[in-house]
Amino acid sequence: MYSTASSPDKTKNGEYRGEAAPSPAAPRKYSKLHRFWRENREGWMFVLPLVIGLGLFTAYPMVQSLIWSFFNYTGIRYYYPVGLNNYIAIFTSDINFWKVFGNTCFYAFVSVPIVLISGYLLACLANLPYKGIGAFRVIFYLPCVIPGIVSGLLWKDMFSTNGIFNQFLALFGAHSDFFLSNNSMVAISSIFLMNLWSIGGGMILWLSAFKSIPVQLYEAAKIDGGGIFARFWYITIPCSAPMIFFNIVTMLIGTFQYNGTLMLYPPNGEGYQNSINMLAVYIYNEAFLGLRWGYGSALSWVLMVVIGIVTAGLFGARRLIAGKED
Amino acid sequence: MAEIAQSLQPTVNSDSLNRSKKTKAKIFRICMYALMVLIGLILVFPYLFMISKSLMSREEIASAELVLIPAVPQFSNYLQVVQDSGYIEAFGNTMFVIIFNLIAVPLSATFIAFGFARCKFWGKNVLFGFMLSTMMLPAVVTQIPLYSLYNSLGWLNTLLPLTIPNITGGGAIYIFLARSFLQSLPKEIDDAAKIDGAGPLRRYFFIGLPLCKPIIIYIMINVFNSNWGDYYGPLIWRLNDDFPATLAYRVFYTLTNSMVSNDMINIRMAAGVLMSVVPAVLFFIFQKQLIEGVAMDGLKG
Repeated sequence: MYSTASSPDKTKNGEYRGEAAPSPAAPRKYSKLHRFWRENREGWMFVLPLVIGLGLFTAYPMVQSLIWSFFNYTGIRYYYPVGLNNYIAIFTSDINFWKVFGNTCFYAFVSVPIVLISGYLLACLANLPYKGIGAFRVIFYLPCVIPGIVSGLLWKDMFSTNGIFNQFLALFGAHSDFFLSNNSMVAISSIFLMNLWSIGGGMILWLSAFKSIPVQLYEAAKIDGGGIFARFWYITIPCSAPMIFFNIVTMLIGTFQYNGTLMLYPPNGEGYQNSINMLAVYIYNEAFLGLRWGYGSALSWVLMVVIGIVTAGLFGARRLIAGKED
Repeated sequence: MAEIAQSLQPTVNSDSLNRSKKTKAKIFRICMYALMVLIGLILVFPYLFMISKSLMSREEIASAELVLIPAVPQFSNYLQVVQDSGYIEAFGNTMFVIIFNLIAVPLSATFIAFGFARCKFWGKNVLFGFMLSTMMLPAVVTQIPLYSLYNSLGWLNTLLPLTIPNITGGGAIYIFLARSFLQSLPKEIDDAAKIDGAGPLRRYFFIGLPLCKPIIIYIMINVFNSNWGDYYGPLIWRLNDDFPATLAYRVFYTLTNSMVSNDMINIRMAAGVLMSVVPAVLFFIFQKQLIEGVAMDGLKG
């Protein structure tokens, strides 16, 4: 179907003009299959690249990865089925998994609210009708524009033992290892600190949400005596809910796959005693540095199921909340 | 919220009650400005620090004391980056990847979206649903088999994995955005062209594509930014150190293998500054499109 779909577009113009007249007279001339083909070929031609792309770069690798997750496979030599043993090993005998899993959940569930809340506050500021507010917006967004790898380079230096943060802490006689710490809470919190500099991304999100809410709603609410919180709760949130929901979902999926620790603690991104090791990086290490493709595939399916559960939970929560409002 | 308070302030009244309100608003305004300047300084500080660090000499970098501003700015650091063959080659590779994707992604995404928005065909909804569900799919799941696939195709250690897959739409989100955009346009133009005998390809290239300009700009900015800073792709699709590095990967590589290059942190910082100039300028120019683009992708999601 796919290989032939691209060929008839050359003759299409001619065929259309030629067949327009005789078609009412001779509709029986073509078989059902042929008519089906003629009705659909135009659309199929347009989506053909997508079908090939989804098949080759999404569906096939997914199925392959699921199959490999039941094998002990190193990519070269070993390839024998182990059934569910990879999965059992992950949950029972893997000494790193629960630590890594905890780190990932901690990072994802704290990071997303931080971005949303700080982004909202900043957007409120950047939405004031003052002169020169555009320049401020650009400045607030500037740290987001800097490529991740460059800011990794920068923050690695600022958090180092003699770096600017420790020089500052030294004024109070304190010292911190930041993400070199063996305490996960400290190490991951320093990633949050780093992420705080890119709250401009969250700001842009909220700004565009504000933009799509009619000003009249706020004015009406104000006349009726609605305070700042009432207006936020009854106007801003409901009006921008679809957009915010969409962004929470994509953000959570993204943060569950966070691999930025690779550049903060190169080359394996594990941190001291696994303190900043997260699932995506763990999978990378297992599969590409450790060459355990079977085990890595199983891990990636665990991650996928976790993300699936979280996403389903979010959709469920949305239905619950939306249902209550009706 | 405060903007409402501002907009409701009458400016014509002259009685004293309003005047006291006015001074209150003025004080509020000054406070807000001060707050914004403070936040702006905090947010910009790392970047300024980076620029300052990129101008430092070797001794200043190595010293244990904190040096905020270099005594003599070493502009030769930048010269060293620009003359470094590794960075030049990496820049060439990055530009190749970016130019290819800047053409391929908007073109293929709008092409596919045109089919979804303007044609009826069997399996449309199923395909669209499947495509949307891939947005929820973690890329981690597919990367190991893709590595094996690229290996058997001989694509590892080349730039092909970063370019060729993008001719199939470059990601569900772009197709989704382009489709929503096309659906918001009047369908009559398309029908008129159909009656005049224009084939599907002609309708796409001469009607659909030119109308998609705003969404194409949005896609292009995002494609540029994601490819410009992407170090993870090159990191995965490499076989050994002969990989044709992109700029971001090159910076990552000097981070991990400080033995290989004799770059000091000041040289790397200079490279970083040069790397962040381009996206910053792009953002200055396309600020409006970016904000509106985000609004678009949310409202229809």
